[in-house]
Amino acid sequence: MPDDLTALHAIQSNRPPRAEESLPHRAMRHRGDVLAYVLVLGAVAISLLPYYWMVSSSLRTMENMFRVPIQWIPDPVNWRSYVLAWHAQNFTRYFFNSGLVAVAITAGNLLLCSLAGYSLAKFRYFGRGVLFILILSTMMLPLEVTMVPLFLIIKQFDWANTYQGLIVPFLVDGFGVFLMRQYMLGIPRDLIDSARIDGASEFKIFWQIVLPLCKPALVALGVFTFREAWDMYIWPLIIVSKDSLRTLPLAISLFMSSYGTAWDQLMAIAVLGTLPMIILFFVLQRAFIQGIAVSGLKE
Amino acid sequence: MSSAVQPRKLATRRWLHLGLTEKQALFGYAILFPTLAILFLFRFLPMIDAFAISFTKYDLIHPAQFIGLGNFIDLIQDPLFRNSARVSLIYVVFSVLPVWPLSLGLAVLFNRSLFLKDLLRSSVFMPVVMPAVVMAVVWTFMYQQDGVLNTVLGWVGIDPIPWLRSSSTALPAVILIGIWRATPYYMVIFLAGLQAIPAEYYEAAEIDGASRWSTFKDITLPLLKPTTLLVMVMTVIVAMKVFAVPMIMTQGGPSDATRVLPLFIYQTAFEFFDMGRAAAMSVFLFVAVMLFSVAQIRIFTRGED
Amino acid sequence: MSRSQKYSAVLLAGAAMLYLQAAFGAPPAAPAAMPTEKTTIEIWWHEYGPMTAYLKELIQEYKQVRPNVTVNTTITSSADINQKISVALATGTGPDIMDNDASFYSLYYSKGVLEPLNLTVFGAKSYPDFIARYTPGGLDAATFDGKVYALPYQGNSMSLFINNKEFRAAGLDPKKDAPRTWDDMMKLGPKLKITQGNRTVQKAFDFPYHSNRWEVQDFQPLTEQFGGKLLSDDGKTAYLNSPAAVKALTLWRDVTKVTGDPRTTMNTSSNPNQDFVDGRTAMYITGPWATPQVQQSAAVGSDFTVVSLPQVDPAKPHTLVYGWMWGVNKAKPEAEKAAAWDFIRFMLAKPEVWLDKVGFVQPVKGVEQSSVAREFPFFDVHMKDVSTGSWYIRSEFTNEITQSLGRAIERVVYDGADPKASLDQAQTEAERVLNKK
Repeated sequence: MPDDLTALHAIQSNRPPRAEESLPHRAMRHRGDVLAYVLVLGAVAISLLPYYWMVSSSLRTMENMFRVPIQWIPDPVNWRSYVLAWHAQNFTRYFFNSGLVAVAITAGNLLLCSLAGYSLAKFRYFGRGVLFILILSTMMLPLEVTMVPLFLIIKQFDWANTYQGLIVPFLVDGFGVFLMRQYMLGIPRDLIDSARIDGASEFKIFWQIVLPLCKPALVALGVFTFREAWDMYIWPLIIVSKDSLRTLPLAISLFMSSYGTAWDQLMAIAVLGTLPMIILFFVLQRAFIQGIAVSGLKE
Repeated sequence: MSSAVQPRKLATRRWLHLGLTEKQALFGYAILFPTLAILFLFRFLPMIDAFAISFTKYDLIHPAQFIGLGNFIDLIQDPLFRNSARVSLIYVVFSVLPVWPLSLGLAVLFNRSLFLKDLLRSSVFMPVVMPAVVMAVVWTFMYQQDGVLNTVLGWVGIDPIPWLRSSSTALPAVILIGIWRATPYYMVIFLAGLQAIPAEYYEAAEIDGASRWSTFKDITLPLLKPTTLLVMVMTVIVAMKVFAVPMIMTQGGPSDATRVLPLFIYQTAFEFFDMGRAAAMSVFLFVAVMLFSVAQIRIFTRGED
Repeated sequence: MSRSQKYSAVLLAGAAMLYLQAAFGAPPAAPAAMPTEKTTIEIWWHEYGPMTAYLKELIQEYKQVRPNVTVNTTITSSADINQKISVALATGTGPDIMDNDASFYSLYYSKGVLEPLNLTVFGAKSYPDFIARYTPGGLDAATFDGKVYALPYQGNSMSLFINNKEFRAAGLDPKKDAPRTWDDMMKLGPKLKITQGNRTVQKAFDFPYHSNRWEVQDFQPLTEQFGGKLLSDDGKTAYLNSPAAVKALTLWRDVTKVTGDPRTTMNTSSNPNQDFVDGRTAMYITGPWATPQVQQSAAVGSDFTVVSLPQVDPAKPHTLVYGWMWGVNKAKPEAEKAAAWDFIRFMLAKPEVWLDKVGFVQPVKGVEQSSVAREFPFFDVHMKDVSTGSWYIRSEFTNEITQSLGRAIERVVYDGADPKASLDQAQTEAERVLNKK
């Protein structure tokens, strides 16, 4: 069984991969390396193909859109699709809405899930196991079924067509709790205990010792939650009827609905809708990948 | 899990802990409380409500009428429900099973030192980042008869596949998207698992003269068991809930080939106005997911300390 | 709240009566007396470019006519509107005016959510009197037990659009050689269907496959042309595997083999006419509202012809009428409901403008005399098909039955299933649903 602590430190300190080989070995494996590289490039091509198609379609003219054989490189380049698509609807507002909701939900999850994970991982109290299972079980039901009763509850609070209604039900998610708990299981008890002996308050321990150690998991949770929140479709569909609160996925769906959908504009909107996620990912990628990685080590 | 501590120190700590146990327990409860409150109010309550509805006839407009097990009995006999369950099962099995070797294989490939490795790894990870709605739209476009995929297949001499326009290829088309999206995500998890295996194990195997394949089989794979378990459980849960892609791409067709259970639940509730039945279907779904997860955990942790 | 509700309802009704007596039959003008209560109504509709634009104009105009009524709107995509309305009805948060495909209204009626038409607001003495304002059968889909519960803002026919350029390229004349019967259609197949190897470059004609509803929109008249009926009038008995239906499905399959290729369609729910508009198919069945889209397309432009739906027996034509309707939510306060019907009246007051701006035909008398109608391409053909059309099947279980039929058709076309066996299965599924309650 691998030493979790070692792995934790290894990944956090960015040690080079274990498979680093010495020079003579490297020469011998040259052919294997080439093959591996070809396969990796193939995987990259497969991963990026839909992206390429999306971007190139957004820049292709409608006349060439369905041409046979397909036009891989747009010519002429249709720059107007982005401008037209943006002005066709109130996309600035929709982007803002999606952004606000996603940021709020992410912040909430980061705080509450780490608190909950900390509690479940490092404290002992009656019913801890049962509570954990119950929290996990909330992940297993599709939203389609719970949304009518959920909407009734939201209606009680008079939160339909409000930002709170979009945000509060998702401020914490079972998956986030699971992730943080798993990660925190690997934090050595001694660290916490010695801080207690030194007289630090519980909250101070959490905030100044435990949380900073969880950076990779927090980043992973943050990006994952942001993606889910940015992507949310069914719930906003139900509780939003005012245009001023519409989120981006709803807007994309609506855009698809206008007759004679201009595919170039639709693809342009798709590109713009994916851009925040891509930027976020590239900025945080190293920490994100580490976070997923380390969370996957515990089970 | 904790490092070895001398018995006397341990006793002292335990003594100290005893006095603080209650205080800590309270703190533990306190910081768990907001999470519990929100999950209870907005997830658990609706969930209980949904289960309760499954025992009623509820058309979304008139008050619910209790009918006991009526929905469940009817569902078991309904060929449409059985078909939908079957479609979901096929989707889960064929999108989960390939992900494991593919993502593990990719992780093995990325475990080497490669030129431009970080850039390549980030590029491979891109499918995870695309919003579901966008994914559905772009792939629909790519699946067209004269579209990208058939063109690429044509380069290797394969005849165009009807993809979404045939009931035999529509489900594989949707499954393909699921695999495309899941593989990079789990590759990263496997990669970390691989990197956590201490070099000493491999060095020992090399000294013993083991072949690369048997090294892989006897050392790597068993050590990856916990990682594999996590991957399997997660992929199954996600696969059983898949909804947006079949809904936007095919609406369950052609001729029911892609009518996965969540989609059927949705249609039953909101197009047929039969919420009781939809709730009963989700009880089946919930139980199935639970069983899958528990079974996998059992299988993988059997014989472990 | 209830007393002022009643007060405003009385005021509104009184104002409406005065207004209508003063201006019976004339285009909307300033009413004689304005109600003093402020009222807010909510209308939800599904996004459709030209319609959304026109409705927004109408809302602005209505503000001038009735300053005390505020109209709030929610626009969703046509794919989402069902769910939105269902959840809203379930949680008591629905709109005053709802918009949905006519085939849903049987379901709504059976659930008791519809408010009957306000005769006073419309200045009609009785329901038969009101129905007489529409073309014969025009309000069939909206009428239950003799009362009118909704109003169609489109009662469209399904007629055959022809791409002139492709006809001429095949040496055919769009007017003279247009198919009048399905036999004609099959004969045209080889002439207009162009293949290159195993690729179909141009289709002669293809049925729709992007949604079950569209499939049944074509299948229903076909069945009726063979002398059959898919559903009983009360919507409680299904005849999905009648000999006529089997003949219809067999014809569908045989025609498709010769004229079309379902694999190459680019049609989607939001772009149901994409194939025709791109010139991928020489003929296609769709409604008059497709006209503006076709005219603006690069591949077709104004170079198209419309003829009546092909028949099995031209002497006994059977076509289809379908459309979307406005309904009023019964659960709302009386004042809002009256205002809602008033706004509907206002919206539908100028059918010729609907035709001009949106391409929707209302099945109301007198439209064909307007200048817009006379200039609308092939309006006489559309109206003729409306006059011989029966409304899309309606039943409390329209959705289930539509899906069963759609699946049956797809099994035959995609999987080569036997039409009779396939329809037998659909019939079993339908009976299961119909007998449940």
